[in-house]
Amino acid sequence: MSNILAKAEPYLFLTPAFAILLIFLIFPLFWNIYISFHDVSFITILKNWEYGGWTNFVDLLNDPNFYTSLRTTVLFVAGSVALQFTIGMLMAVLLSQKVRAAGVLRAIFIIPWTISAVIAAFSFKFIFDYNFGILNYIFQQIGLQSVGWLSDPNIVIWSLVIANVWYGTPFTMLFITAGLLSINPSIYEAAVIDGATKFRSFLRITLPLLKPFIVINLILITMWSVNFFDLQLVMTGGGPLFASTTASLYMYRQAFEFGLLSKGAAAGLILIIINISVAFVYLKLLKR
Amino acid sequence: MNGTMQKEPFRNNRVWFFAERTLVYALIAILLFVTLAPLIWVFSTSFKRNEESISFPPKFLPENITFDNYKFVLTDPGLVRSLINSFIVSIGSTTLSVAVSALGGYAFARFEFKAKNLIMSVILGLFMIPVVINIIPLYTMLSAAGMLNSSLALILTFQILIIPLNILLLKNYFETIPRDLEESALIDGCSRLGVLRRITIPLSMPGFAIAAVLAFRFSWNEFILPIVLANRPDSMVFQVALYQFISLYRIEWGYLTAGITLAIIPVLVLMLVFQKQMIRGLTLGAIRE
Repeated sequence: MSNILAKAEPYLFLTPAFAILLIFLIFPLFWNIYISFHDVSFITILKNWEYGGWTNFVDLLNDPNFYTSLRTTVLFVAGSVALQFTIGMLMAVLLSQKVRAAGVLRAIFIIPWTISAVIAAFSFKFIFDYNFGILNYIFQQIGLQSVGWLSDPNIVIWSLVIANVWYGTPFTMLFITAGLLSINPSIYEAAVIDGATKFRSFLRITLPLLKPFIVINLILITMWSVNFFDLQLVMTGGGPLFASTTASLYMYRQAFEFGLLSKGAAAGLILIIINISVAFVYLKLLKR
Repeated sequence: MNGTMQKEPFRNNRVWFFAERTLVYALIAILLFVTLAPLIWVFSTSFKRNEESISFPPKFLPENITFDNYKFVLTDPGLVRSLINSFIVSIGSTTLSVAVSALGGYAFARFEFKAKNLIMSVILGLFMIPVVINIIPLYTMLSAAGMLNSSLALILTFQILIIPLNILLLKNYFETIPRDLEESALIDGCSRLGVLRRITIPLSMPGFAIAAVLAFRFSWNEFILPIVLANRPDSMVFQVALYQFISLYRIEWGYLTAGITLAIIPVLVLMLVFQKQMIRGLTLGAIRE
């Protein structure tokens, strides 16, 4: 009896955590599939849900805004990931160069990541404002035209990328810093004795050793950029029209702006597929 | 530098050294400016009168410092209510997640069991699931359960953002505590839970601090789950209330920037106090991969 109890003990310790994750994280993934094959809207949510077959997916694929949102997602993700990674890497490497007060600087660089996306969004909405924003003021001072940072359909997505880079870069800095700390400094001493320049030893020693960190970091920031829509929702609401609606915001807008929950769920399923593909591609790269 | 080095390359090295240092510090200065400028701008605006906050050309510093914006935010019944809601939800969610993750983390750190590795990889996998994908099913589930617009709904759903990370973090922390201490107590007839309460938990306080700060940060800052699950005036949290500034009034930037400043303070203070442990804690999981 006590033997059985001893065997069950670790599982008992794990039960509360798993119960919560099962109900609120794992089950909803499957429930999402169920919803996407039924007719659920704000009107029908409390009634019986009728089976809808593939209707929601057909709706989705016939909606030009959906394709626009996929294209917008690609731009938003590519811009965000490229810049976040480059700048975050730069920050981490700079701070590892025996600079003074590196700890304090690191603490300051992390600040954007400690605040909420809503706050980052409002701050940049304020800075980007067409009429009284400080950015347009600076543009005018140096003799340029005011730019419709959030109102010009061709520019808005890049304004959002700028805000997202400001907000998200500290994570990459932290992550790469961890990677740099994991490298044994004696390796560099050997390289210096061999007469290697700093730049060369960075390319030849640091980068290869950082590879697993880089790949995992890229997976995480890519997936976050795909799924993240707090910024867009607050700064533009996805507009003008659908110009800054990424796929994840498209899902939200269908469900909670237009009340079409099951069409949103169908978009959510496609979002999951995008996520899995991203992880898959990067993991392939890691194995190479 | 012991005499064997020739003079010429040495001088060259020095020039290089200064050039490199200058470049390093110049880049850091630029990054520092870009990081802080938006927040300083918001902070400065929060002390301006509303008409001054949208004046053009903008004034960099408030002409007459006013605390009216803060007074408005801290006396408006709706906003105060939402601040209280935020504290209730964040503290509840932090407490629950630390308790539940401590139990889970302990199981991984101290027990050998059949599915250990499998369960661990499941948890790592769960960490990758983007929570936003769950908003629609969660909305229908909680709506059916009559739990929309309740603090409990937020406290429970926030767990999925936090638990996987905190289990990992606390497991790593527990592993740094020597087993012998616990084993001798077990032999003395202490129960497992007794050991956890009397020995492991007191020794793991720094680990708990990190887990709690992270949990608080996630809970306090979360926006998408609350806007979907609790957007009624009496149940909304502060982040959602700030967002409502857009639709309820035309944006009053003075009030909004004051609200932003207030919303930043709790997490910023926690993060700065625990900065060193945070970086270590956050990276601990990564390093062990």
